[in-house]
Amino acid sequence: MSLAAEAFVSQIAAAEPWPENATLYQPLREDQILLSDCASSLAVQAYLRMCNLPVHVSCRSNAEYMSPSGKVPFVHVGNQVVSELGPIVQFTKAKGHSLSDGLDDVQRAEMKAYMELVNNMLLTAEISRPRYSSPYSWPLNQILAYQKQWEVRRKMNAIGWAGKSLEQVYEDVSQCCQALSQRLGTQPYFFNKQPTELDALVFGHLFTILTTRLTSDELGEKIKSYSNLLAFCRRIEQSYFEDSQAGSSSRGYSKGPSLF
Amino acid sequence: MGTVHARVVVQHVNIEGLGRTKEDLLGYEISEVFDAKNLIDVMKKSHIARQKLLRLGIFKEVEVVIDTSDGADALPNGLDVTFEVTEMKRLTGSYNTMVGNNEGSMVLGVKLPNVFGRAEKLTFQFSYGTKETSYGLSFFKPQPGNFERNLTLNLYKVTGQFPWSSLKETDRGVSTELNFPLWRTNHTLKWEGVWRELGCLARSASFAVREESGHTLKSALSHTMSIDNRNSAIFPKKGALLRINQELAGYTGGDASFLKEDFELQVNRRLVWDSVLSASLWGGCLLPIGGRPSSIADRFYLGGPTSVRGFGMYSIGPQSEGDYLGGEAYWAGGLHLYTPLPFRPGRGGFGDLFRTHFFLNAGNLCNLNYGEGPRAHLQRLAECVRWSYGAGIVLRLGNIARLELNYCIPMGVQSGDRYNTQTFGGAGQTRLL
Repeated sequence: MSLAAEAFVSQIAAAEPWPENATLYQPLREDQILLSDCASSLAVQAYLRMCNLPVHVSCRSNAEYMSPSGKVPFVHVGNQVVSELGPIVQFTKAKGHSLSDGLDDVQRAEMKAYMELVNNMLLTAEISRPRYSSPYSWPLNQILAYQKQWEVRRKMNAIGWAGKSLEQVYEDVSQCCQALSQRLGTQPYFFNKQPTELDALVFGHLFTILTTRLTSDELGEKIKSYSNLLAFCRRIEQSYFEDSQAGSSSRGYSKGPSLF
Repeated sequence: MGTVHARVVVQHVNIEGLGRTKEDLLGYEISEVFDAKNLIDVMKKSHIARQKLLRLGIFKEVEVVIDTSDGADALPNGLDVTFEVTEMKRLTGSYNTMVGNNEGSMVLGVKLPNVFGRAEKLTFQFSYGTKETSYGLSFFKPQPGNFERNLTLNLYKVTGQFPWSSLKETDRGVSTELNFPLWRTNHTLKWEGVWRELGCLARSASFAVREESGHTLKSALSHTMSIDNRNSAIFPKKGALLRINQELAGYTGGDASFLKEDFELQVNRRLVWDSVLSASLWGGCLLPIGGRPSSIADRFYLGGPTSVRGFGMYSIGPQSEGDYLGGEAYWAGGLHLYTPLPFRPGRGGFGDLFRTHFFLNAGNLCNLNYGEGPRAHLQRLAECVRWSYGAGIVLRLGNIARLELNYCIPMGVQSGDRYNTQTFGGAGQTRLL
């Protein structure tokens, strides 16, 4: 967002408290959502739970067209519609909820760097194995599937990933996980005792790769070889998502399968 | 030769100047000339045949030459009638640029009349603009001998922006249409498959409109019946028009599923002093099938300089945060009194293009809960009626459109409707309350 738009949103956002009926929109779980979208949505849900802000999850087939930026997930809070983790973090900060207030500037810069790393490596690794089915009727489902395929291919070309073989993708993911594992060490969260948006983002991506039923599990195996990352994911799942595990309503939360 | 009423026999009817047109097509149009009994009859029937040839849309010029017959088998009272035709060029093109509403575009048009020799017509229009591009390809084929029975195939992409709903829509579609007359009525059967893409026009669009964004596919069969015996479409002085249209979507594929009915009725009557009283009534309802809610692109809209005057364009009825969402049922009625301009300036010339009119418009638009009975529906449509009255000046533009400048007083305004008192609007010949 531009600076002026950010300032404007902050001012409007600060005026009202977080409402009870805030809703997060994502594509349909069964046959539509892409791996990367699932990870982004989970990251946002984890972040909001860490901030203790209630949100309902609603699955819509046209979620990506409803979003103002074209990206999912997006949240509808009061009159505002905000999409993607970065702007949502800003938005909640304007309302007075923040997880990274306790960090100093060096740590904050470090956090941003790691978030970029995760976005570049893990997000694009997820994109390289997409799923192209569609809830629309024929011939619209074919047309939209081709469009999506073409878009993804163009994106991969733009970031130079088109030429990468599957082996190289796995290598990159492995390196990323190694960096994360080293930074995490034996701490419970990346910045010691308190979770931050980096924890939410890493959890979203790693958990999605570990529990997806779609891919061939090579990516999952790579992550499992780092035991502290696996423990990290379990810990966050237990702390923030377990309360809805028993007796979850269909609108409650949509994590899907569990690590247990 | 005796008088013009003496008996004659038409021996030959020729057509000269044909190039690519096939002769069997024209046989039907000119066959009646053979039945003429005397010279006056020959002239009348030749004139009618000339009109019929011109309406095929394949000739630039048709001239009639009537002469006594000569040759070995010539009768003393025999006549030969010759139609001298000039065919249209195989390909005509046009190029325009248009500027308006923050957008400039160039429009390219190509027309091929009489492609295969039997009055088939192929037209292509392509518009390339700074914001959007759109195109349309159309193929028209009449039945030889029965021009009013014809088939049209269309392929198109159009984009529209609807600021009253903060909505923009891109339609890509294909349609086939069959027209045929039946006794005194005209029928049209049409199948249309459209891929619709809806989006928000601005970031400030309401959430209700945002929820409708995305792609839908509509595959619909529709039938229209119309009877029109007005003497003109723009300033009719007498006659009536009745048009009933139904559309069924969802049974031939696609994800939009509904039954839509609407009708249009207009009656005109001439009164003293060259003034005309005109009454019109419209109505329609949309019934979603299969439990899915209706889409904003299928609903009805009401209000504006061509429907209920005095209200903003399509700004009546259900709305959310200033965006009008349309309704599933509506009715609208209008009563007009057209008179010539006071003191009749420019009579016989320019002044005849103008008329003053006094009008009364009313209408209502709402959503129906189809679980309730028809009585509840009628009650819902009868309460909170919007209406307006006023006067203004109307100008006729050729035979295609009319321009109005009115002063209106809107009444029965409900909360959420937008209204204004002066309205200025043009209208085509098809939909005008």
